[in-house]
Amino acid sequence: MLVKIKNPDWSILVLLIILLMIGVVAIFSASTTKIGDEYHTENYYYKQIVWIIIAFGLTLFMLRIPYTVIDFLIIPSFILSVILLIVVLFLPEIKGSHRWIQLGFFNLQPSELAKITTIMLIAKLISKPGIGDGKILVRSFGIVIIPILLIMLEPDLGTTLIFIMILFSLLLASDLPLFYIILMLAPLLSVITSFFSVTFFIVYMIILILILYRTRLSWIIIGLNTVFNTFVFFITPLIWNGLKVYQRNRILSFIEPSRDPFGAGYQIIQSKIAIGSGKLFGKGFLLGTQKNLNFLPEHHTDFIFSVIGEEFGFIGCFVVLALFFLLLLRISIVINKLKRKEMRYISVGIFAYLTFQVFVNVGMNLGIVPTTGVPLPFISYGGSNLLINILGISLILKFLNEKSIF
Amino acid sequence: MSKKSKITQFSIITISLIFFLLNLTVFKLQIVKGDEYKLISDKNYVRLKKISPIRGEIYDRKYRPIAENQPSFNLYIMPSKVENKHLLTQFLADNFEVSYQEVDDLIYKQRFRKFQELLVIQNVSFERMVEISEQTDDYPSLFFKTETIRRYKYPNHFSGYVGRINENEYERLKDSDYSINSIIGKTGLEKYYESILVGKSGYEVLQVDASGRNLKFFRQNLRKEAQDGNDLILTIDNDLQNYAASLLPADKNACILICDVKTGGVLAYVSNPVYNPNLFTSGISSKKWQELINDPRKPMLDRIINATYPPGSAFKPIIATLGLEDSLITVDTKLAECKGGMYIGDRFFKCWYEDGHGKLSLLDAIKYSCDVYFYDLSLKIELARMYEFTDSNYLLVRTGIDLIGERKGFFPTEKWYKDNYGRYAGIIGPKTNLAIGQGEVLTTPLQLCAYYTALARDGNWIQPHLLEKKISGETTESFKALTKNLPVTNDHLQLIQKALYKAVNESYGTGVAARVGNVNIFGKTGSAENHMGEETHSWFAGYASWNEPEISFVVFLENAGHGGSVSAPIMRKLIVYYNKIR
Repeated sequence: MLVKIKNPDWSILVLLIILLMIGVVAIFSASTTKIGDEYHTENYYYKQIVWIIIAFGLTLFMLRIPYTVIDFLIIPSFILSVILLIVVLFLPEIKGSHRWIQLGFFNLQPSELAKITTIMLIAKLISKPGIGDGKILVRSFGIVIIPILLIMLEPDLGTTLIFIMILFSLLLASDLPLFYIILMLAPLLSVITSFFSVTFFIVYMIILILILYRTRLSWIIIGLNTVFNTFVFFITPLIWNGLKVYQRNRILSFIEPSRDPFGAGYQIIQSKIAIGSGKLFGKGFLLGTQKNLNFLPEHHTDFIFSVIGEEFGFIGCFVVLALFFLLLLRISIVINKLKRKEMRYISVGIFAYLTFQVFVNVGMNLGIVPTTGVPLPFISYGGSNLLINILGISLILKFLNEKSIF
Repeated sequence: MSKKSKITQFSIITISLIFFLLNLTVFKLQIVKGDEYKLISDKNYVRLKKISPIRGEIYDRKYRPIAENQPSFNLYIMPSKVENKHLLTQFLADNFEVSYQEVDDLIYKQRFRKFQELLVIQNVSFERMVEISEQTDDYPSLFFKTETIRRYKYPNHFSGYVGRINENEYERLKDSDYSINSIIGKTGLEKYYESILVGKSGYEVLQVDASGRNLKFFRQNLRKEAQDGNDLILTIDNDLQNYAASLLPADKNACILICDVKTGGVLAYVSNPVYNPNLFTSGISSKKWQELINDPRKPMLDRIINATYPPGSAFKPIIATLGLEDSLITVDTKLAECKGGMYIGDRFFKCWYEDGHGKLSLLDAIKYSCDVYFYDLSLKIELARMYEFTDSNYLLVRTGIDLIGERKGFFPTEKWYKDNYGRYAGIIGPKTNLAIGQGEVLTTPLQLCAYYTALARDGNWIQPHLLEKKISGETTESFKALTKNLPVTNDHLQLIQKALYKAVNESYGTGVAARVGNVNIFGKTGSAENHMGEETHSWFAGYASWNEPEISFVVFLENAGHGGSVSAPIMRKLIVYYNKIR
């Protein structure tokens, strides 16, 4: 009962393979150093190749099994990832958090698995025909809160944010009227505006009311929403000022770790110098100098983009960003072709978290986004993340392959 | 427009905005500001520099140094400046006590942090430094720094020593404040109080270009001062410590422990033979290390906490209190007649005094240390009860002294005998021996000292410790010793104290050689037979009182003879000395 692979989407596949190859080259360079006349290279690039091969093996397998089998596995695999997220909390800390399960040959990151299983479960549950708004909200929030709470305990801010992203992207894609999402996001913006000025807030409220009016929401709800957001706006400074200095600092450094100039802040500065000093053409392969400066050798993982920037310059950065753009563009176009809601929702979720990761990681390397420890998809070294990202893409490929059946 | 195409439209707008923003930022960094960043990168203007804290020093109770920091010239490599690694490594191996392989490994370990200096040789002499400095033109990666090295005032077992961080320690600690150059406490107090002594590194961001212009990447906190480690004030008295060390015969494995009865603080901590901790501070050569660990007398062994011995007759007060507590005897009860020993079944158990003590009651049995009295008493006690009582007098558990690697004591159980000597092993015979502290019962000298300290404190056991207080700037924090009570009623305790007094101060008491005219000394001798040699282990344990009990002590010599004739006279000299300096 194996499925035949008919006309895979070559453009997605080719873009993916190019990005993976660039990743291997960048990892090779990031983990190479020169002392005097001797070069040393760590074997990360080699491990990465092994992971890519494993991931493609799984992809081939997945493309050939019927979707009903995968559908059947959604609930068990979600339960498995929740169990792993609980297990990881009881394991010893690695680098100050409980994110990894050490398996000897590699470190498993359960939150990576949870990403894809959460997307699939929510998509499955909210794509049932004739489902009401309330059920969509209850189910999606009810599911997503489990991994979010567990990951916050690790703690891992970056991945927590990815789950919030996933939730909103799925809600946007679902049949849920837009105003629900606006109502949910509004208080968050109110908190942010309260750190600026009243004028800013008033402008924001007027825009909000106009948008909600266009969604033909009743005046009562719009009124209540305005009152609630005004309350949030005024209460936030009171709460903030009521906090002790150390509590405020704790929150601030949680939001923006680069406030510490001797830790993450130093890392960001070095990353900016590395990228900036690459200029138009870069310093050349293996010739980067900044990669050995940092206190934390994370160049083959979170700061791989700075190595590309330094050694291949603006051309290199532009090519990598363009490849990501084309890949994500192609995915957003093919989503339109998917007929089954469930598959469409899953694809939107995968699209959203890939986009978010690229933005947060590159933004962090460029110093415009706070440091959160999110790797660059397909390029950064890392078993769990790489595997899940490739599997995510292969799921979309699979949906495209299956579309003729339904 | 359908919902589907709306999603696609929204997605495309989102990614277009994101990638436009990212490309714009890349453009700004690389094209607009590229020259500036290139310059910064070439000259390495922005640099994070670590400021090392000063390790806390260790002093005795009168603020005299035990471990201090002395200036030292240390040789470093800057890996990024290495021109020819092979030549450099060979040069270092030829000129210093370090192998080619060791240097090679060090550089390899630091290969991804090549802009961080790497400590290679510590404590280079001034002459040597001048000599090498003349040649460093050929090796631009080498440079000297004036730092400090740890110096210990006298050989001892408690201070421990520091040394270069090793691979395991580095793996464990690299995420905290340690680097590959770190000096870390390896054993003793240096290890136990590592976190207090080490302090916290400071950091400085250097961001000044060649023309002295400030680059201003960071607005604030450009320098975070190092926090120096706390100094430790010990309860040790250097005078008493050194005098005690001088009293032990060089050819004997032995130890002396003197504690403050009021606080539980250790005044003198001598274990013989001893090693010189200074050997380790700048890296011990493997030859010297082999010599130390292969020495049959084991100078690295701290006999006060890391070795256990049968306590011999010094154990008798435990069995005596057990007899009193369980109402098996009273102060007047006379037990079996000592005829130089007694028969139990068909086996004759000898008393150490061949002529025999006759029939004795409790106080005299302790004073004369008559074995027969305790043999007979042991017949009334279950082995399990003996175990339990020994344990509840804290002779089997670790005392919790602030040192590394303290051992527990040992007392056999019925199960232990059956496991080791077979199902039908009799326990009457072994139990008889246990009652006089012989056979399988083992305690550390420290546990025994803690027990006698508790006797001096009227039954209140206190945790022995070496730290009196730690000092950080203006603030001091004193050690808080745990106290617990022995399971002994006050009346019974006074009887034991009385017996210990008689043993030292009345004629024919076994401890009479320790007697000092104007000091009230309470003590118990012990002469424990053992498999290590012909002669018995020699014990003397007890306490000395002026207006009130002030010091407790254990003097122990392996295979040196009788407690009364070997250990007690040594303690007498110490008490005379202490009487002068107190």
